[in-house]
Amino acid sequence: MSVLLALPVLLPLVCAATAMLFWRRLRVQRTIAVLTALGHLASTLALFVEVRRFGILVARFGDWPAPYGIVFVADTFSGLMLVTTSIVTLAVTVYSLSSIDADRESFGFFPLVCALLMGVSGAFLTGDIFNLYVWFEVLLIASFVLMALGGERKQLEGALKYVTLNLVSSSIFLAGLGLLYGSMGTLNLAQLSVRVAEATDPGFVTMLAMFFLLAFGIKAALFPLYGWLPSSYHTPPTAVSALFAGLLTKVGVYALIRTFTLVFTNDPTFTHRAVLLGMATVTILAGSLGAIVQRDLRRALSFTIVASVGFAVLGLAVSGGASQELATLALAGTIAYVIQAMVVKTQVFLLSGIVRRLSGSFDVARIGGLYASAPGVAILFLLGALALAGVPPLPSFIPKVAVLRAAFGEGLGVYAGVALLGSLLMLGAVARLWSHAFWRAPMERPHESDDDAPVNLVFRFIPVTGLTVVLVLLGVGAGPVFQVATEAARQLLDTDGYVRAVLGGAR
Amino acid sequence: MVTPALAILSLFTLGLLAPFLFALLPRHAGKLLCLPPAFWCGWFWSKTPASGQTWTSPWIPELGITFSFRLDGLASLFAILITGIGAMVLLYTEGYCGAKPGSGRLYGLLLLFLASMLGVVLADDAILLFLFWEATSVTSFLLIGFEHERANARRGAVQALMVTGGGGLALLAGLLVIVQQTGQGRISAWGPLAGDPLYLAMFALVAIGCFTKSAQFPFHFWLPNAMTAPTPVSAYLHSATMVKAGVYLLARLSGSLGGTEVWTWTLTLVGGATMLTGTLLALRQTDLKRLLAYSTVAALGTMVFVLARGGAEAASAFAAFVLAHALYKGALFLVAGAIDHTADSRDAFRLGGLWQRAPVLATASTLAGLGMMGVAPLAFLAKETLVDGLLSPPDVPSLIVFGVMAAGAVAIAGIVAFRPFFGKADPAIADGHKPDAPLLTGPAVLAVLGIVGGLTPTFVFERIGGPVAAAIGGGTDPHPWALWHGFGAPLAFSVGTLALGLAVYRAWPAWIARAAPWPSFGFDRAYDAGLRGTVSVARAFTRTIQNGRLRAYLQTTIATFLVLVTLAAVRWNPSPQIRLDTALPHEALLALAMLLAVLAAVRSVSRLAAVVTLGVVGFGVALTYALFGAPDLAMTQIAVETLTVILFVLTFYHLPRFARGSGTRTRAVDALLATGVGATMAAITLVASQRLLGTPISAHFAENSLAEAHGRNVVNVILVDYRGLDTLGEITVLSIAGLGVVALWTFGRRAAKGGSA
Amino acid sequence: MTLLLAIVIGALYAGGVYMMLRKTVVKLLIGLAMIGNAANLLIFVSSSVVRSHPPIVPKGSSAVPAPYADPLTQALILTAIVIGFAVLAFALALVKRVYGEVGSLALEEMTVSDE
Repeated sequence: MSVLLALPVLLPLVCAATAMLFWRRLRVQRTIAVLTALGHLASTLALFVEVRRFGILVARFGDWPAPYGIVFVADTFSGLMLVTTSIVTLAVTVYSLSSIDADRESFGFFPLVCALLMGVSGAFLTGDIFNLYVWFEVLLIASFVLMALGGERKQLEGALKYVTLNLVSSSIFLAGLGLLYGSMGTLNLAQLSVRVAEATDPGFVTMLAMFFLLAFGIKAALFPLYGWLPSSYHTPPTAVSALFAGLLTKVGVYALIRTFTLVFTNDPTFTHRAVLLGMATVTILAGSLGAIVQRDLRRALSFTIVASVGFAVLGLAVSGGASQELATLALAGTIAYVIQAMVVKTQVFLLSGIVRRLSGSFDVARIGGLYASAPGVAILFLLGALALAGVPPLPSFIPKVAVLRAAFGEGLGVYAGVALLGSLLMLGAVARLWSHAFWRAPMERPHESDDDAPVNLVFRFIPVTGLTVVLVLLGVGAGPVFQVATEAARQLLDTDGYVRAVLGGAR
Repeated sequence: MVTPALAILSLFTLGLLAPFLFALLPRHAGKLLCLPPAFWCGWFWSKTPASGQTWTSPWIPELGITFSFRLDGLASLFAILITGIGAMVLLYTEGYCGAKPGSGRLYGLLLLFLASMLGVVLADDAILLFLFWEATSVTSFLLIGFEHERANARRGAVQALMVTGGGGLALLAGLLVIVQQTGQGRISAWGPLAGDPLYLAMFALVAIGCFTKSAQFPFHFWLPNAMTAPTPVSAYLHSATMVKAGVYLLARLSGSLGGTEVWTWTLTLVGGATMLTGTLLALRQTDLKRLLAYSTVAALGTMVFVLARGGAEAASAFAAFVLAHALYKGALFLVAGAIDHTADSRDAFRLGGLWQRAPVLATASTLAGLGMMGVAPLAFLAKETLVDGLLSPPDVPSLIVFGVMAAGAVAIAGIVAFRPFFGKADPAIADGHKPDAPLLTGPAVLAVLGIVGGLTPTFVFERIGGPVAAAIGGGTDPHPWALWHGFGAPLAFSVGTLALGLAVYRAWPAWIARAAPWPSFGFDRAYDAGLRGTVSVARAFTRTIQNGRLRAYLQTTIATFLVLVTLAAVRWNPSPQIRLDTALPHEALLALAMLLAVLAAVRSVSRLAAVVTLGVVGFGVALTYALFGAPDLAMTQIAVETLTVILFVLTFYHLPRFARGSGTRTRAVDALLATGVGATMAAITLVASQRLLGTPISAHFAENSLAEAHGRNVVNVILVDYRGLDTLGEITVLSIAGLGVVALWTFGRRAAKGGSA
Repeated sequence: MTLLLAIVIGALYAGGVYMMLRKTVVKLLIGLAMIGNAANLLIFVSSSVVRSHPPIVPKGSSAVPAPYADPLTQALILTAIVIGFAVLAFALALVKRVYGEVGSLALEEMTVSDE
């Protein structure tokens, strides 16, 4: 069982190393990349099944018991995140087979994707806060290189902003870590949970919580910390931005959810109901407003990421200090929302690549005419767009209902109202994108694409269609999906269960 | 199996398959596709239950959402209309579109809409209902924008989506509040809610949803703009079915939300305003479809107006009016489309004399027109029933409003139903083609049903009026429908409005010819202004926040940090007891040196000086490590710091000098932020170093590293053994960074060689 | 000494932040490097500074004699130093490349990606 927990990290590591050995043989690298993604999916699925059967699983590295050694912990939430990560990575890897240029490929595109996957998986699994920092750095450095690889001016400038602000986040994280260890004497999340609960000076803990809130808030792209995201996500190749869109901010959201359900629960009135709630609500509005005014398709989509992060965090904020029942509802909504958001974001970003391929532009004002000329793409995009706007029966709807219901139940109707207003703005934004890019008569075809060589588009359509199928299944299967999300939420709220699983008797 | 679910599912599937069927049999698609809805229409007709019948199965128990459907009199009436008129419209589409490519999508979307609409009226679970509700908004969006290369079609589609979608979100909020308060997701299980503390919020939110969907004043403006849709769509969605969803839901919830002063007043005022607005605006139009659209607005207002009253009689009158209106208005819309098809014009002012060219159409139009005038049996019956209600006891203001609406309807009916056929023709009107059978069947059937239905009032009442009254009126209507109410006030009212309407009709052409176009009425413009306002707010906001300047992003981040930490500190309100240790002279000297180095770095004007001061700071840190028991750290720090300085120098050696400095104000702000961060960090560090809330786990390592891990250097043991995973990650980071440096370097050289990329 | 070190840390943060907010990318990086140093020192100081033995088990003993410096803190800082260096090296390479494309080190001129 320990192997199952280690595989999501070790498999990409081994594959990245192997792929580096075949530095000049791109065909081998591609094969390895696809196999890695498939293997990762298999391993995370197996892990998920095991977690569902046995509850929280714990693996100790070097067989050192917690809290002295580093442990990996898999619960339903991390299992769900891992499986979704595998799906997203698989889709992007297949997509990139025909879309990434030879230059980028020859500078380690595929090993970098593996490294990113490794970092993300480690972050989802680790039960140690410093180890979380290390995985954050792994995924960050991989994303830095992917972001900057190749590239003209726009991409490099985007990369600079991305790198700088993420480094700031890392250093805040690091400072928070030092202070946390200095005052709590431990790094193990379970033990931190216990010690925070027993802390004689909870006010100081709240102070430290702000460091983590800020560090993770930057990575998750919460208002007003999201500046880096719309500055950079639209600049690298489609496959890269799709991968980032699906995974990176969600790691930040994951870290927020993990730490603010397990560790920093000492003062939810302030941390959750004031800070997180306020930031989340404004984030929803800011993202939706931003999406309305963009001309670049990918930049508009970048703002939809911001809005959806806001919505995910809204659920977390509502859950803090709520009654058991409503907290479960809100968190389950958040979890189900994050899962589908990962799929949707990747889907629409990949689609934007196909759109550009067909129309020659990312500029919404110049695309035009795809409804008539490419109805398949139009339908795929429509489904993605409706999911962005939270229209039923797409899978973002039920989670939204859950979070809103919890918000109404907790007397936070105003915030729910703002979230709904955000939904309306988002609906307007996607309707505008759709009516410009798909409905309008085609423009004279602009040739700004350097990506015009006749390429088989099959490798691009397969992953996008696959993701759309996943999306539809998540929507149709809302019942079971929400059931699993609810179980995950219950586990998150049952911190005693987590502590027992990790520490056993050794507190 | 659950039959309503089966009906919805089968029609939905049919919608998905329709484009393929059209591709196979383009000339017969309508004939074939209209059969399943026709079948379901018959089924619903035969199944109308006296009391409601419910099917339910669990869906998302954690949220209390069920798959539950309920068929009662009200649902049955709407289900019959949706499937029946749907069948006629599908058939009509065949004549309207012929084998035009792309029509497969139209069939498909119409069927998807039909299934969604059926879901709205059959769903018993609030969330399920909302799901179908949104589905009708989305399919309607796609249908209005069907002729998508025309700019006004796109505008109409987006406008309809925004208005009904926005209302939909209010509705969702309202439904969720009700569900949360009652703890019950099933609509049929909601009792009267008037006593709930949140009643006003519930009512307001639900009402906004219903009013937007049903184009009530002041949200009526989207409906005429939606007339850019193909005519079958206008006939179906924007007259017979979708716009009635709001009315349906109000009727459905009248038992829970109704019966209060707020309900009665709001619905009366909004319904009345809508009736007047629709009627007056209709008379200013010359386009057949826009005339019909505004008259539909007026009719929808009437329905809301009736629902304000409550009780079995009003329910029965409501049912009669909904039925009659769907039949005659659907027929008239289809006739308008056929006229367009025949004469290539929809201009009511110029059309005329078409009866020779299309006698069957003229007959259908006449029958339907008589319905709209309230003369044809079913419509007459509906009108009499309504007026009966208003007369006992006499409600004068309502009678006046209703009278205006009824007279207007007479005039409009004259303009759209008779004038194009029997009026004088404008010679400029083209000689189009004759309508063929599929184009005629729909209007003819609907128009005839409007007559037949009224001739058998008892029979129709048993099937429709009675069950509706039982479903939402809270009992049986003591006055079953009858065609003849005898000579009395209602008849006098009818005759009066008829006469008034005919007078308006006669005056209309002269009025239109003379009337300068009024300045177009405000709400459509208000929508545009709202849209523009939203976009400019969005633009201003986004430009401010997302201004592209990295410095601004950094400042925002740092300011946020300071705000959050300050808030937490205020909340914490600490009374720190800090025990200070002493510093030895050489330690103090070291600290002083580092402080000076920082100061030098900040004030440096040359690159080299800045890098050197950075190095000094680094070595100072290394010395600190060495002084306080961390020789390993000191060594690593020295090595890394040396490398860093070398890298800095190598990288920037060839680059230009620093750009000019910032202005005084910028520097002051930055200094303030910097000092804030510095002070905060110093204070927190001091507190953290004093505050131990648990034994550090490192004690375990110091005691057991030799025994457990066989290493004497505890730091090393931790790195390679206890926390080996960190080290693995660290090595990964190092290798990838190396890879990145090489890649950037190579790409840079390539770009330099090949000119700018 | 804790107080003095806390002041030094504060000064390093203040200096680093101020440098980051200047107009040129070089100072931005120097600022980041200073903050990196500050964070490491912060970890070191916040788990209490004592004049003590290095955490090494002497020959003939089974445990580190007290007082000793916290070995876990040191392990964390070692990891952080290496990671920080790797990332900084990458950032330097990136800045060099940005200079190659933009032809300037002034941050004001780098707003293309936000247009």
